[in-house]
Amino acid sequence: MSKKHATGTTQFDLGFYDRMAALLEKWKHLGEIPVDQIPSREVIDEITRLLYLEARLLDQHRLREWLALFSADGAYWIPADVDYRDPRHTIAWEFNDRRRMEERVERLETGQAYSQIPPTRTVHLLSNIEVMLAEDDTLHALCNFHIQTHRGHDTQSRCGWCGYVLRKENGHWKIMLKRVNLFDADLPQGNLSFTL
Amino acid sequence: MTTPSHPASAAAAGGINSLSDTDRTRNPNSESSTLQSYQHLFRPGFVHRRLYVDEQIFHDELRYLYGRTWLYIAHESELPQPNDFITRRVGGRPLIITRSAEGKIHALFNRCTHRAAIVCREPRGNAKGFICGYHAWTFNNEGHCTSVPLRQGYGKTFTLASTNLQHVARLDSYRGFIFASYSADVPSLSEHLGAAARLIDQWLDRGEKEPVVVRSGSMPFLVHANWKTIYDNAGDGYHPPFSHESMLKMFARRYGDVDMNYYGSDFDKSPMYSKNLGNGHTFLDQRPEMHKLSAWKRQHVMPGYEAMEKALIERFGETRALAMLDTATGSGMNLNIFPNLLIIGNQIQMPEPLAANKTQLTWFATTREGAPEEINAIRMRMQEDFPSFGEVDDSANFEACQEGMAYVPEMEWIDIRRHHDTEVGTPDPADHLWREPMSSDLHMRTYWQRWQELMNAGATQALKARGESS
Repeated sequence: MSKKHATGTTQFDLGFYDRMAALLEKWKHLGEIPVDQIPSREVIDEITRLLYLEARLLDQHRLREWLALFSADGAYWIPADVDYRDPRHTIAWEFNDRRRMEERVERLETGQAYSQIPPTRTVHLLSNIEVMLAEDDTLHALCNFHIQTHRGHDTQSRCGWCGYVLRKENGHWKIMLKRVNLFDADLPQGNLSFTL
Repeated sequence: MTTPSHPASAAAAGGINSLSDTDRTRNPNSESSTLQSYQHLFRPGFVHRRLYVDEQIFHDELRYLYGRTWLYIAHESELPQPNDFITRRVGGRPLIITRSAEGKIHALFNRCTHRAAIVCREPRGNAKGFICGYHAWTFNNEGHCTSVPLRQGYGKTFTLASTNLQHVARLDSYRGFIFASYSADVPSLSEHLGAAARLIDQWLDRGEKEPVVVRSGSMPFLVHANWKTIYDNAGDGYHPPFSHESMLKMFARRYGDVDMNYYGSDFDKSPMYSKNLGNGHTFLDQRPEMHKLSAWKRQHVMPGYEAMEKALIERFGETRALAMLDTATGSGMNLNIFPNLLIIGNQIQMPEPLAANKTQLTWFATTREGAPEEINAIRMRMQEDFPSFGEVDDSANFEACQEGMAYVPEMEWIDIRRHHDTEVGTPDPADHLWREPMSSDLHMRTYWQRWQELMNAGATQALKARGESS
């Protein structure tokens, strides 16, 4: 048995892509959040704290702790389009399963990932946070982001909105999906090798 | 036209492989506003930094090089329906590429014949024609002017036909790859492609040969470097184990002997090679290692690896499923068609020059029409991995090179000597094209030779035209 199977995952089968397609349909057409899908104030506070914690860990390059915020079947997705296209036949800047996220962190830890030497400095600002109840005891959270970055001689802004799917495991909210929707995802991008 | 040969045999033509004393003593750092030969910017095994940083040379390139050779402009599958169009800049020029109602492909300059405004400002769509936003001059998708408001103001002799959008001078395609030339004075496309055509065939005819579709989005990278800093790398078989050490180390640590692990030892002794295809085109062949056994089995994992493999084996049986997955894996080919088409793995790259120090490098993803959904989903996730784990480091290195070239005039020369003097090159026994080991700078020496031919001819022609008009 090779190592690759020992760390295997059942994710990213066709069923997973069907669920992603349904999720995109929902987010694309979302209007006012129905009253019966608004979580308690307490839950909204919990989610808000999680998003702020994630932003702080990313700004401090604490990627191992960042990874721990995701569930074992978690995914990190940065589309390269702004049209909610089907990822089965559309390329993304990133569409990582949990294993690929770990590979990402491990690669950066080698000290030889030249796109992150020196690392991109970031400040993540979040706003417009909306939280709603979804199917199977999950929550969806949407927020706008502004990431101020600096690397080399270059100061830049990255903007867009994030969509999260969250689930409670052993009393802690875990990220099942983070979809980072750059408002200019289909346009030329400079160094995107930091973690958004 | 160049013929593929050992670069040293081109010595008589001057350039990288030969140099007269006059060339050697001329100061290459000095600017010159008059049309000139570029000869003094080349030394055997070295090219001058100004070729990468000089604004005047960049503008000369847009005219003499991009204006006088075949350029890849689009893939036919990007325009699947009648009246589909895309707009794109190629070699600096804004183009509208259309498929007419009858299905014929056209390439028009996206520049109004009136006041030069960009006529179509959408990236893609479906339209029978285009209306300029400024004075509403209207054109159909074959370029014919169909309406000019208040036409009587142009007098009685005015005809709409005199204000048609301008077509590119030459348009042709090879197996779905559409090429244009802005000058009529070029050889045929098949002559231009030469030996590269056979390799395009091999790239297309893999596995079950479903048509390649270029409608799966793209990754447009903005790189603060000259287009040639990027082009150099497309055929640089020396850099992978060093530039991509983080990726190779991580994959080896996690998964053992997987793809690209063959760069771990002296890969010049491997059966991989670099090849001169003529006309500036080159080829790096990693297939002898990557596709030696099963490329899929040796591929590092990607999201969906196990799930899709299992589903395909259930549907098609192990033998056929694994064969399908082998051909969904990267081609192991780096086919570089000078100056703006780079076929790498399963992707198509277009480097587009924006400024002397700025280039857009677009990676177009490809799917296979009619292939199982699992195969195309796997193709997508696999085509994301190198851009994410490798290209980012390449880009950082391109920008580091550009900075060094731009800001240290005391150090003038860029080294492209590798395997120039080792005498290990040989003609390929199959087609007699010149081959050198994988890590050779043969690619750079080959395209720079073609660069000089085009640029010197363009400059000479422009000088002549200037003489005639004065």
